[in-house]
Amino acid sequence: MKISKKIIDNLKKGGVDFYLSVPCKLLANMIDILENDKDVYYSAVPREEEGMGICAGAYLGNKFPCIMMQNTGIGNSVNAIVSLLQLYQMPVVFLISYRGTPGEPVGAQGGMAKITEDILQTLRIPMLHCSSEKELNKISTFSKHAKVVESPVAILCDFNLMKDDK
Amino acid sequence: MNRFDLLNKVQNILKDNLVICNIGLPSQELYKISDQPNFFYMLGSMGLSSSIGLGLALSQNKHVISIDGDGSVLMNMNTLATIGNRAPSNYTLLIIDNGSYGSTGDQRTFTDEKTSLKDVALGAGCKNVVECSGEETVNELNKAIDDKDNSYVIISKINSGNVKIDPIPLNPITIRDRFRKFIGKVKYL
Repeated sequence: MKISKKIIDNLKKGGVDFYLSVPCKLLANMIDILENDKDVYYSAVPREEEGMGICAGAYLGNKFPCIMMQNTGIGNSVNAIVSLLQLYQMPVVFLISYRGTPGEPVGAQGGMAKITEDILQTLRIPMLHCSSEKELNKISTFSKHAKVVESPVAILCDFNLMKDDK
Repeated sequence: MNRFDLLNKVQNILKDNLVICNIGLPSQELYKISDQPNFFYMLGSMGLSSSIGLGLALSQNKHVISIDGDGSVLMNMNTLATIGNRAPSNYTLLIIDNGSYGSTGDQRTFTDEKTSLKDVALGAGCKNVVECSGEETVNELNKAIDDKDNSYVIISKINSGNVKIDPIPLNPITIRDRFRKFIGKVKYL
Protein backbone atom coordinates (compact mmCIF):
# COMPACT_ATOMS: atom_id res chain seq x y z
CA MET A 1 0.00 0.00 0.00
CA LYS A 2 2.96 2.29 0.68
CA ILE A 3 4.03 2.46 -2.97
CA SER A 4 0.49 2.97 -4.25
CA LYS A 5 -0.18 5.70 -1.70
CA LYS A 6 3.02 7.46 -2.64
CA ILE A 7 2.09 7.41 -6.33
CA ILE A 8 -1.38 8.84 -5.71
CA ASP A 9 -0.05 11.46 -3.27
CA ASN A 10 2.44 12.61 -5.88
CA LEU A 11 -0.14 12.70 -8.66
CA LYS A 12 -2.43 14.80 -6.46
CA LYS A 13 0.46 17.06 -5.53
CA GLY A 14 1.03 17.51 -9.27
CA GLY A 15 -2.56 18.71 -9.63
CA VAL A 16 -4.21 15.57 -11.02
CA ASP A 17 -7.88 15.55 -9.95
CA PHE A 18 -9.65 13.23 -12.42
CA TYR A 19 -8.80 9.52 -12.60
CA LEU A 20 -9.87 6.64 -14.81
CA SER A 21 -8.62 3.10 -14.88
CA VAL A 22 -8.76 -0.05 -16.89
CA PRO A 23 -7.84 -2.40 -14.09
CA CYS A 24 -4.63 -4.32 -13.53
CA LYS A 25 -3.79 -6.29 -10.39
CA LEU A 26 -0.76 -4.03 -9.94
CA LEU A 27 -3.12 -1.03 -9.87
CA ALA A 28 -5.61 -2.58 -7.44
CA ASN A 29 -4.35 -0.71 -4.35
CA MET A 30 -4.43 2.62 -6.17
CA ILE A 31 -7.97 1.93 -7.30
CA ASP A 32 -8.95 1.21 -3.68
CA ILE A 33 -7.40 4.48 -2.54
CA LEU A 34 -9.13 6.49 -5.26
CA GLU A 35 -12.53 4.88 -4.71
CA ASN A 36 -12.41 6.19 -1.13
CA ASP A 37 -11.05 9.63 -1.96
CA LYS A 38 -13.77 12.28 -1.94
CA ASP A 39 -11.48 15.03 -3.29
CA VAL A 40 -11.04 13.60 -6.78
CA TYR A 41 -13.16 11.95 -9.47
CA TYR A 42 -12.53 8.28 -10.14
CA SER A 43 -14.18 5.74 -12.42
CA ALA A 44 -13.33 2.50 -14.13
CA VAL A 45 -13.74 2.43 -17.93
CA PRO A 46 -14.04 -0.60 -20.18
CA ARG A 47 -11.36 0.32 -22.72
CA GLU A 48 -8.30 2.58 -22.77
CA GLU A 49 -9.10 4.29 -26.09
CA GLU A 50 -12.47 5.35 -24.72
CA GLY A 51 -10.69 6.57 -21.59
CA MET A 52 -8.50 8.84 -23.75
CA GLY A 53 -11.69 10.45 -25.04
CA ILE A 54 -13.11 10.94 -21.55
CA CYS A 55 -9.78 12.44 -20.43
CA ALA A 56 -9.89 14.87 -23.38
CA GLY A 57 -13.36 16.04 -22.32
CA ALA A 58 -12.26 16.36 -18.69
CA TYR A 59 -9.36 18.54 -19.80
CA LEU A 60 -11.72 20.78 -21.80
CA GLY A 61 -13.75 21.13 -18.59
CA ASN A 62 -10.61 22.24 -16.73
CA LYS A 63 -9.76 19.01 -14.93
CA PHE A 64 -6.29 17.51 -15.00
CA PRO A 65 -6.86 13.87 -15.95
CA CYS A 66 -4.93 10.66 -15.45
CA ILE A 67 -5.68 7.25 -16.95
CA MET A 68 -4.27 4.21 -15.20
CA MET A 69 -3.77 1.10 -17.29
CA GLN A 70 -1.45 -1.72 -18.25
CA ASN A 71 1.10 -1.01 -20.96
CA THR A 72 -1.10 -3.08 -23.28
CA GLY A 73 -3.54 -0.16 -23.17
CA ILE A 74 -1.11 2.04 -25.08
CA GLY A 75 -1.47 -0.37 -27.98
CA ASN A 76 -5.23 0.08 -27.83
CA SER A 77 -5.00 3.87 -27.87
CA VAL A 78 -2.48 5.04 -30.44
CA ASN A 79 -4.91 6.83 -32.78
CA ALA A 80 -6.74 8.54 -29.91
CA ILE A 81 -3.42 9.73 -28.47
CA VAL A 82 -2.19 11.15 -31.78
CA SER A 83 -5.36 12.49 -33.38
CA LEU A 84 -7.02 13.78 -30.21
CA LEU A 85 -4.68 14.38 -27.24
CA GLN A 86 -1.66 15.44 -29.26
CA LEU A 87 -3.55 17.17 -32.08
CA TYR A 88 -5.30 19.49 -29.60
CA GLN A 89 -2.30 19.54 -27.21
CA MET A 90 -4.08 18.14 -24.16
CA PRO A 91 -2.17 17.29 -20.98
CA VAL A 92 -3.06 13.82 -19.68
CA VAL A 93 -1.01 11.59 -17.37
CA PHE A 94 -0.76 7.91 -18.30
CA LEU A 95 0.00 5.87 -15.18
CA ILE A 96 1.13 2.55 -16.59
CA SER A 97 1.68 -0.75 -14.82
CA TYR A 98 4.57 -2.13 -16.81
CA ARG A 99 3.60 -5.76 -17.29
CA GLY A 100 6.13 -8.08 -18.83
CA THR A 101 9.13 -6.50 -17.07
CA PRO A 102 11.41 -8.73 -14.92
CA GLY A 103 9.45 -10.46 -12.17
CA GLU A 104 6.43 -10.91 -14.42
CA PRO A 105 5.17 -14.50 -14.20
CA VAL A 106 3.08 -14.40 -17.39
CA GLY A 107 5.30 -14.96 -20.40
CA ALA A 108 2.74 -13.67 -22.86
CA GLN A 109 3.03 -10.18 -21.36
CA GLY A 110 6.59 -9.97 -22.69
CA GLY A 111 5.53 -9.07 -26.22
CA MET A 112 3.96 -5.70 -25.47
CA ALA A 113 6.65 -5.01 -22.85
CA LYS A 114 9.34 -5.25 -25.53
CA ILE A 115 7.75 -2.55 -27.68
CA THR A 116 6.04 -0.28 -25.12
CA GLU A 117 8.88 2.22 -24.81
CA ASP A 118 9.47 2.17 -28.58
CA ILE A 119 5.82 3.09 -29.14
CA LEU A 120 5.96 5.90 -26.58
CA GLN A 121 9.21 7.15 -28.11
CA THR A 122 7.73 7.06 -31.60
CA LEU A 123 4.79 9.06 -30.29
CA ARG A 124 7.24 11.55 -28.67
CA ILE A 125 5.59 11.09 -25.29
CA PRO A 126 7.82 12.09 -22.34
CA MET A 127 8.45 9.07 -20.09
CA LEU A 128 9.25 8.60 -16.42
CA HIS A 129 10.39 5.04 -15.77
CA CYS A 130 10.01 4.07 -12.11
CA SER A 131 11.89 0.94 -11.02
CA SER A 132 12.53 1.91 -7.38
CA GLU A 133 10.66 3.76 -4.66
CA LYS A 134 12.82 6.87 -4.71
CA GLU A 135 11.89 7.55 -8.33
CA LEU A 136 8.28 7.98 -7.31
CA ASN A 137 9.22 11.38 -5.83
CA LYS A 138 9.61 12.68 -9.38
CA ILE A 139 5.96 12.02 -10.24
CA SER A 140 4.54 15.36 -9.06
CA THR A 141 7.00 17.47 -11.04
CA PHE A 142 6.66 15.19 -14.02
CA SER A 143 2.84 15.54 -13.93
CA LYS A 144 3.09 19.33 -13.83
CA HIS A 145 5.39 19.06 -16.85
CA ALA A 146 2.47 17.64 -18.86
CA LYS A 147 0.60 20.91 -18.33
CA VAL A 148 3.58 23.07 -19.15
CA VAL A 149 4.28 21.32 -22.45
CA GLU A 150 0.55 20.65 -23.13
CA SER A 151 1.17 17.00 -23.89
CA PRO A 152 0.33 13.58 -22.58
CA VAL A 153 3.11 12.08 -20.46
CA ALA A 154 3.69 8.47 -19.41
CA ILE A 155 4.77 7.08 -16.03
CA LEU A 156 5.91 3.46 -16.24
CA CYS A 157 5.89 1.45 -12.99
CA ASP A 158 7.88 -1.79 -13.18
CA PHE A 159 6.36 -5.10 -12.19
CA ASN A 160 8.85 -5.69 -9.36
CA LEU A 161 8.23 -2.23 -7.88
CA MET A 162 4.49 -2.87 -7.62
CA LYS A 163 4.21 -6.59 -6.97
CA ASP A 164 4.90 -6.59 -3.21
CA ASP A 165 2.94 -3.43 -2.39
CA LYS A 166 0.62 -5.23 0.00
CA MET B 1 -34.42 14.28 -44.06
CA ASN B 2 -30.64 13.83 -44.12
CA ARG B 3 -27.96 14.88 -41.64
CA PHE B 4 -27.58 18.39 -43.06
CA ASP B 5 -31.35 19.00 -42.77
CA LEU B 6 -31.34 17.67 -39.20
CA LEU B 7 -28.40 19.83 -38.13
CA ASN B 8 -30.21 22.84 -39.61
CA LYS B 9 -33.27 22.01 -37.54
CA VAL B 10 -31.40 21.60 -34.23
CA GLN B 11 -28.86 24.44 -34.66
CA ASN B 12 -30.72 26.84 -32.37
CA ILE B 13 -30.69 24.28 -29.55
CA LEU B 14 -27.02 23.53 -30.11
CA LYS B 15 -26.07 27.21 -29.87
CA ASP B 16 -27.10 27.31 -26.21
CA ASN B 17 -25.12 24.23 -25.15
CA LEU B 18 -21.63 22.79 -25.26
CA VAL B 19 -21.41 20.60 -28.36
CA ILE B 20 -18.90 17.89 -29.22
CA CYS B 21 -19.32 17.15 -32.92
CA ASN B 22 -18.25 13.97 -34.66
CA ILE B 23 -15.35 13.90 -37.12
CA GLY B 24 -15.83 14.35 -40.87
CA LEU B 25 -19.00 15.46 -42.55
CA PRO B 26 -21.03 16.03 -39.35
CA SER B 27 -18.51 18.64 -38.18
CA GLN B 28 -18.08 20.09 -41.67
CA GLU B 29 -21.83 20.43 -42.15
CA LEU B 30 -22.33 21.97 -38.72
CA TYR B 31 -19.47 24.42 -39.36
CA LYS B 32 -21.12 25.48 -42.63
CA ILE B 33 -24.56 25.89 -41.02
CA SER B 34 -23.35 27.89 -38.04
CA ASP B 35 -19.88 28.14 -36.57
CA GLN B 36 -19.89 28.78 -32.80
CA PRO B 37 -17.10 28.90 -30.20
CA ASN B 38 -19.03 26.42 -28.05
CA PHE B 39 -18.82 23.80 -30.84
CA PHE B 40 -15.85 21.45 -30.49
CA TYR B 41 -15.15 19.98 -33.93
CA MET B 42 -13.38 16.63 -33.92
CA LEU B 43 -10.61 16.47 -36.52
CA GLY B 44 -9.59 12.90 -35.62
CA SER B 45 -10.28 10.04 -33.20
CA MET B 46 -13.39 8.57 -34.84
CA GLY B 47 -15.65 6.93 -32.27
CA LEU B 48 -14.84 9.20 -29.34
CA SER B 49 -17.45 11.99 -29.56
CA SER B 50 -19.63 10.37 -26.90
CA SER B 51 -16.59 9.85 -24.64
CA ILE B 52 -15.24 13.40 -24.98
CA GLY B 53 -18.70 14.76 -24.18
CA LEU B 54 -19.02 12.47 -21.17
CA GLY B 55 -15.69 13.63 -19.73
CA LEU B 56 -16.75 17.23 -20.26
CA ALA B 57 -20.15 16.73 -18.62
CA LEU B 58 -18.48 15.11 -15.60
CA SER B 59 -16.11 18.06 -15.23
CA GLN B 60 -18.37 21.14 -15.27
CA ASN B 61 -22.05 22.05 -14.98
CA LYS B 62 -23.11 23.31 -18.42
CA HIS B 63 -25.22 20.97 -20.54
CA VAL B 64 -23.23 18.93 -23.06
CA ILE B 65 -24.56 17.44 -26.31
CA SER B 66 -22.37 14.86 -28.04
CA ILE B 67 -23.29 14.55 -31.69
CA ASP B 68 -22.35 11.07 -32.79
CA GLY B 69 -23.12 8.74 -35.67
CA ASP B 70 -24.20 5.13 -35.93
CA GLY B 71 -20.89 4.09 -37.48
CA SER B 72 -18.94 5.87 -34.75
CA VAL B 73 -20.94 4.37 -31.91
CA LEU B 74 -20.51 0.92 -33.43
CA MET B 75 -16.75 1.57 -33.30
CA ASN B 76 -16.76 2.46 -29.55
CA MET B 77 -19.78 0.53 -28.30
CA ASN B 78 -18.43 0.18 -24.75
CA THR B 79 -19.17 3.91 -24.42
CA LEU B 80 -22.86 3.05 -23.94
CA ALA B 81 -22.03 1.00 -20.84
CA THR B 82 -19.96 3.83 -19.39
CA ILE B 83 -22.74 6.32 -20.15
CA GLY B 84 -25.34 3.96 -18.67
CA ASN B 85 -23.41 3.79 -15.42
CA ARG B 86 -21.75 7.20 -15.14
CA ALA B 87 -23.44 9.91 -17.26
CA PRO B 88 -24.58 12.94 -15.23
CA SER B 89 -27.87 14.73 -15.97
CA ASN B 90 -26.14 17.50 -17.96
CA TYR B 91 -25.27 15.00 -20.69
CA THR B 92 -27.16 14.13 -23.86
CA LEU B 93 -25.88 11.77 -26.53
CA LEU B 94 -27.47 12.50 -29.91
CA ILE B 95 -26.80 9.64 -32.31
CA ILE B 96 -27.59 10.63 -35.87
CA ASP B 97 -28.43 7.19 -37.24
CA ASN B 98 -28.55 7.22 -41.03
CA GLY B 99 -27.51 3.57 -41.38
CA SER B 100 -24.41 4.54 -43.29
CA TYR B 101 -20.78 5.57 -43.05
CA GLY B 102 -21.51 8.99 -44.53
CA SER B 103 -18.02 10.47 -44.53
CA THR B 104 -16.47 7.53 -46.35
CA GLY B 105 -18.95 7.18 -49.20
CA ASP B 106 -22.19 6.01 -47.62
CA GLN B 107 -21.36 2.34 -47.11
CA ARG B 108 -24.09 0.63 -45.08
CA THR B 109 -23.59 0.11 -41.35
CA PHE B 110 -25.06 -2.72 -39.27
CA THR B 111 -27.84 -0.43 -38.02
CA ASP B 112 -29.14 -0.68 -41.59
CA GLU B 113 -29.27 -4.46 -41.07
CA LYS B 114 -30.00 -6.16 -37.73
CA THR B 115 -28.46 -3.92 -35.06
CA SER B 116 -30.64 -1.65 -32.92
CA LEU B 117 -28.61 0.95 -31.03
CA LYS B 118 -31.68 1.58 -28.88
CA ASP B 119 -31.64 -2.03 -27.68
CA VAL B 120 -27.87 -1.92 -27.18
CA ALA B 121 -28.11 1.30 -25.14
CA LEU B 122 -30.89 -0.12 -22.97
CA GLY B 123 -28.98 -3.34 -22.43
CA ALA B 124 -25.87 -1.32 -21.55
CA GLY B 125 -27.72 0.37 -18.72
CA CYS B 126 -28.85 3.67 -20.27
CA LYS B 127 -32.25 4.47 -18.77
CA ASN B 128 -33.67 7.22 -20.95
CA VAL B 129 -33.24 6.05 -24.52
CA VAL B 130 -35.37 7.60 -27.24
CA GLU B 131 -35.53 6.54 -30.85
CA CYS B 132 -37.25 9.14 -33.00
CA SER B 133 -37.58 10.56 -36.52
CA GLY B 134 -35.59 13.56 -37.66
CA GLU B 135 -38.70 15.72 -37.33
CA GLU B 136 -39.22 14.68 -33.70
CA THR B 137 -35.60 15.32 -32.74
CA VAL B 138 -35.98 19.02 -31.82
CA ASN B 139 -38.71 18.17 -29.34
CA GLU B 140 -36.81 15.22 -27.84
CA LEU B 141 -33.62 17.26 -27.48
CA ASN B 142 -35.49 20.03 -25.66
CA LYS B 143 -37.05 17.49 -23.32
CA ALA B 144 -33.64 15.97 -22.56
CA ILE B 145 -32.09 19.35 -21.78
CA ASP B 146 -35.03 20.46 -19.63
CA ASP B 147 -34.88 17.30 -17.49
CA LYS B 148 -32.39 18.27 -14.77
CA ASP B 149 -32.39 14.81 -13.18
CA ASN B 150 -31.55 12.45 -16.03
CA SER B 151 -29.18 11.99 -18.95
CA TYR B 152 -30.54 10.90 -22.34
CA VAL B 153 -29.54 8.94 -25.40
CA ILE B 154 -31.47 10.11 -28.47
CA ILE B 155 -31.25 8.07 -31.65
CA SER B 156 -32.45 10.14 -34.56
CA LYS B 157 -33.33 7.91 -37.52
CA ILE B 158 -32.79 9.79 -40.77
CA ASN B 159 -31.85 9.12 -44.39
CA SER B 160 -28.28 8.85 -45.60
CA GLY B 161 -26.85 11.47 -47.92
CA ASN B 162 -24.35 14.27 -47.61
CA VAL B 163 -23.78 17.84 -48.78
CA LYS B 164 -20.61 18.49 -50.77
CA ILE B 165 -18.46 20.48 -48.44
CA ASP B 166 -14.90 21.60 -47.64
CA PRO B 167 -12.76 20.53 -44.67
CA ILE B 168 -12.94 22.80 -41.62
CA PRO B 169 -10.32 25.55 -41.99
CA LEU B 170 -9.81 26.03 -38.23
CA ASN B 171 -6.58 25.09 -36.49
CA PRO B 172 -7.12 22.51 -33.70
CA ILE B 173 -5.65 24.82 -31.06
CA THR B 174 -8.08 27.54 -32.12
CA ILE B 175 -10.97 25.10 -31.71
CA ARG B 176 -9.64 24.08 -28.30
CA ASP B 177 -8.92 27.53 -26.92
CA ARG B 178 -12.08 29.32 -27.98
CA PHE B 179 -14.11 26.38 -26.64
CA ARG B 180 -12.36 26.54 -23.26
CA LYS B 181 -12.68 30.32 -23.24
CA PHE B 182 -16.44 29.96 -23.77
CA ILE B 183 -16.63 27.68 -20.71
CA GLY B 184 -14.63 30.31 -18.85
CA LYS B 185 -11.53 28.22 -18.28
CA VAL B 186 -8.99 30.02 -20.45
CA LYS B 187 -8.02 33.52 -19.44
CA TYR B 188 -5.19 34.35 -21.80
CA LEU B 189 -7.12 34.78 -25.05
